[in-house]
Amino acid sequence: MALAALSGTATRRRDHAGGMSAFERSRRRLYLPFVVPALLLHLVFVIGPTAAALWISFHRWDGVSPMEWTGLDNYTALLEDSTFRTALVNTLVILVVAGLAIFVISFVLTMIVRELRWKSFVRSVLFFPHIVSAIVLSIVWGFIFQHNGVVNTILDRLFGAEPIPWLNADNLFVMILIGTVWLSTGLYVTIIMAGVDRIPQYFYDDAQLAGASAFQRLRHVTLPLSWDVISVAAIFWTISSLKIFEFIYAFGGTTNDLPPPGVWNSALFVYGESFGGRSPSYLFGYASASAILMLGLFAFLVVGLRRLMRRDPIEF
Amino acid sequence: MSSEAGTLTTERGAGRGGPRSGRGAGTGQVPRRRRTGRPEPGRVVGRVLVWSFVAFNVLIFLFLITSSVKSTPDIFDAPWGLPTSLHLENWSNAWNESGFARATVNTVALAVAGSVSTLVVSAPAAYVLSRVRHRSAGPLSLFFALGLGIPAQVTVIPLFEMMSNVGLVNSLFGLYVLYTATHVPFTVFLLTGFMRSLPGEIEEAAAIDGASALRSFAQVMLPLARSGLVTVLILNAISMWNETLLGIVFLQSVDKYTLSLAVLNFLSSMQFSGADYGGLFAGVCILVLPMLLLYVWLGRRIVEGITLGAGK
Repeated sequence: MALAALSGTATRRRDHAGGMSAFERSRRRLYLPFVVPALLLHLVFVIGPTAAALWISFHRWDGVSPMEWTGLDNYTALLEDSTFRTALVNTLVILVVAGLAIFVISFVLTMIVRELRWKSFVRSVLFFPHIVSAIVLSIVWGFIFQHNGVVNTILDRLFGAEPIPWLNADNLFVMILIGTVWLSTGLYVTIIMAGVDRIPQYFYDDAQLAGASAFQRLRHVTLPLSWDVISVAAIFWTISSLKIFEFIYAFGGTTNDLPPPGVWNSALFVYGESFGGRSPSYLFGYASASAILMLGLFAFLVVGLRRLMRRDPIEF
Repeated sequence: MSSEAGTLTTERGAGRGGPRSGRGAGTGQVPRRRRTGRPEPGRVVGRVLVWSFVAFNVLIFLFLITSSVKSTPDIFDAPWGLPTSLHLENWSNAWNESGFARATVNTVALAVAGSVSTLVVSAPAAYVLSRVRHRSAGPLSLFFALGLGIPAQVTVIPLFEMMSNVGLVNSLFGLYVLYTATHVPFTVFLLTGFMRSLPGEIEEAAAIDGASALRSFAQVMLPLARSGLVTVLILNAISMWNETLLGIVFLQSVDKYTLSLAVLNFLSSMQFSGADYGGLFAGVCILVLPMLLLYVWLGRRIVEGITLGAGK
């Protein structure tokens, strides 16, 4: 590989010395026609709307009547809105608490699963929830924890236990957290295992010869050598935790309304203040302000996390 | 949950080591750790945990299937029991009367057309971004990557306004455009990294033989990058199949619903027409089973796509 890379640069340098080859030139002519369609879609449907959301967030607007400039009013109102504060805290709790649980559990599972004979089967089954609609997982998760649901039925048959109110207001968000951990763990097991599998066995043999305990092997071999995978996965979790919507939206039964505001996260808040609910409130400016605020916060967190997790790369 | 999952690492992985690095020389096979004399208690506990997790996932799935052919009282009385009689009418009701037939057609059309269009637009961009040494190539790649961090709830309000101005709200074509466009950043990002990792020699050989760049792209690069293209195609199709937020905002009439909206619709209609969990789970199975089949068929590819040289 190294050799290939070397010869590659050598060729390129030769090209460069004698100007560009005809092939390079013809490839260069493809640059614009090839990149512009994708770039246009990206600009029109992703970047443009993001900028527009920022603009809308400075206005009072219901989508129909003319926009009314209100400056930072939406933002100051947000900070005093207890529903938003709950949504903000919930989003961060999902990020940190569910995130820590996911990473610790995934790491432990990875260490166990990679030594199993049924490794790839186990990994496939753990990964499966990731490709199932979160709506479905949410419905099933809510269904088995209903008052007269599967879990209470089993507890009753086994121990004669009184039904536990899993889904009452106090427990609802905790159940959402646990559900989130359940459906995300398999993905991170898969990612972390791929990183850990790349560590050559002789490091472990060496550590064993030196008398390292299982914990020391984890601390001095596995963690440092899979650190770059873990840090990418952590950033990935940060980004995707902000996008969680379906699992909460469909959670908690059969009403055709939104779930109670106590369990809303950022995405639910935006939806709830704009299109969602039985009588939508269409507060487009307000909802946009909350979305922009969270986007800014998470951008900051991603940058911080990158700094925090940066280590000198270890070549092996 | 989006398909963007994890594949993030693919790029990095593919970026340096090439697609081979996942199973690179010496590192690929993990030799089983030698068994020490007595099993450590921690390990036993760990295995019990792993197998209970696996059992839970399998049981949930079996529960879905069996419940879809049970009557509602049966589901509550004996949740884990086998169905006493087959209530296949759950399926036929869901399919014929609750709009799941139409929703299936809509969803298949959206997922297939959307994932193919995204690929058609993104693969050429990824090719020139990874191969042409243009001073804007680096910044542009980053610019596409930026799109990965922008959640749909930020863009949905402006998009709604935009699409209603051109009459594309409550339109499957409008949703198809949105699905295609919103999956472009991820696809370009992934494929740029993947193509960068592929060796350049073959293309150089084609160039010496006098192939044009266009021909080299079509006849050398696309076949070389086939595994990456297929993986991202599948991941996007899965993501579009399961997509909900844009669906509930942009689709209003029942005949345009996608499968996840049909399930939600069924769920909320139970409030008026009475609990019909058998029917609900039949609908849920219509949403899940195609993904299960795809997973059984191509699961190795999906998982390998995600782990493809993850890490370096």
